[in-house]
Amino acid sequence: MAAISIAFICPRFPDGPTVGGAETMLKTQAGYAASHELDVTFLATCARNHFTWENEIEPGHREIDGLNVHFFPVNESRDVDTFSHIQERISRGRTITREEEDLWVRHSVNSDALCEHLSRAIADYDRVVIGPYLFGLCLNAAKIAPDKTVLVPCLHDEPFADLAVVRECFDHSRSMMFNSHAERQLATRRFGKRYEDMPVIGMGIKPFETDPRAFARSRNLDSPYLLYCGRREPLKGTPLLLDYVDAFRARTQRDLKLVLTGTGPIEPSSALRPHLIDLGFVSEAQKHEVMAGALAFCHPSVNESFGIVALEAWLAGTPLLAHASGDVLRELCRISNGGLWFKTYGQFEETVIGLMDHPEFRNQLGAAGRRYVMDNHQPAQVAARMVEALRQ
Amino acid sequence: MSSHIFEIGAEGIDTERIVEEIQSTVAEKMQQGHYTDARVARAERTNLSNLKDEEEFLSFYLECLRDTIFVDISDFDIVERRQRFSSLLVTLKRIIWKLLKFYTYRLWSQQNQVNGLLLSAVEGSDNRSRERITALEKRVAELEAKLKASSES
Repeated sequence: MAAISIAFICPRFPDGPTVGGAETMLKTQAGYAASHELDVTFLATCARNHFTWENEIEPGHREIDGLNVHFFPVNESRDVDTFSHIQERISRGRTITREEEDLWVRHSVNSDALCEHLSRAIADYDRVVIGPYLFGLCLNAAKIAPDKTVLVPCLHDEPFADLAVVRECFDHSRSMMFNSHAERQLATRRFGKRYEDMPVIGMGIKPFETDPRAFARSRNLDSPYLLYCGRREPLKGTPLLLDYVDAFRARTQRDLKLVLTGTGPIEPSSALRPHLIDLGFVSEAQKHEVMAGALAFCHPSVNESFGIVALEAWLAGTPLLAHASGDVLRELCRISNGGLWFKTYGQFEETVIGLMDHPEFRNQLGAAGRRYVMDNHQPAQVAARMVEALRQ
Repeated sequence: MSSHIFEIGAEGIDTERIVEEIQSTVAEKMQQGHYTDARVARAERTNLSNLKDEEEFLSFYLECLRDTIFVDISDFDIVERRQRFSSLLVTLKRIIWKLLKFYTYRLWSQQNQVNGLLLSAVEGSDNRSRERITALEKRVAELEAKLKASSES
């Protein structure tokens, strides 16, 4: 079979403290392609910080984790106020004009240097894999060679998906690689039948073993705890999780702790603060230890297209607690029988009490989740699916 | 909570069934007013955007607000746990409370008025929307029936 050449494009390259689900997914998929001897180049911006988008990494070419990575500066001319103003209106579901959509794209995160490089080198690439869709950079890069573009959209049920520029990007791209069946269903519902047979790839998770008591031992922690790992922001549902745990402690008088890893500001109440353990950025090994010891991994986001951390928690033998309005995570819980979901505080309270009082049940849920990941998300299986999709 | 929900059957765990049972248990408890306290109302404020399309949730949230919207400024039992100087301390606390009440009564009563007006406005707007939607649904159904009848004839 002839080797094909692929450019992967993502606004940030995940390395060290740069974390993010979509970024990790794209990097992992690039790794799969490289391990199948495809010719892979990764194009990203020099930004690390998801909030400031400052150019922190030196522009240029580097080899990182076996991948050929090119870093390009983010445009510094962007008008953040204009962008934020339009973004706010879109988030609130207001109708905006085509001119405003174009302004929103222009003042989003962009890199002219990256797009110019792609335009010059496009003849060298057979496929351009781009994701996630919600950045000016990705929408602009997808226009350069739509017939070669494979989008990893990371689509959520959100007002941004209604924009004409987004619709055009989807419709003109050669194909998609969805992260989950629920995401593909959403795309079919929103954009039409063209998407219903497009491949679902997602990401493989390497199995690991870890000591479920290690974290509690290192902290002298006797109480059960809920865990959340990832970016802390309203879109991820972290304020809701803080409020729920706070109310749970006050109403039930049970000593439940909350452990967080990842970055982003949080504002716990004074009553919750002594019972909140904020670990910030942790290593993979530490993260697995914290996961294994948790009563449950709580993912309150309703805007996920996959859920890498949820799969990792299952591998650690820990059940998932998801928000019922998040289609992807709820479906994963249902299919795997590895987690439960809640819609309101009352359901959250009853579920957590059930998990606390029935440790055998909690362990069985975790074990079912682990089985599901082992059966469906082995890296070799996912890599084979992805390479086949790229060759089509 | 009925603990049988979390029992593991011979066929293993069926999360869909378990969640349904939790939901029905919680629905029963909600009807008994189990979750309509201020802490739940506060905890649910960020959930409103997740469940904005769910009419039931908005009704429940309004019920939480109804039960918690007024700042309680009525008198209450003032007690003292310490045994020494107990009656003296109780008297002192009563004086402090009377002073506080006297100086803040205007503030809190105005706040309660504002809270009550806001809640009435939200409830009124919610009722109007519901009535309008019901009328529109009825109209759509009538038009569909007419259309069907004319296409058949």
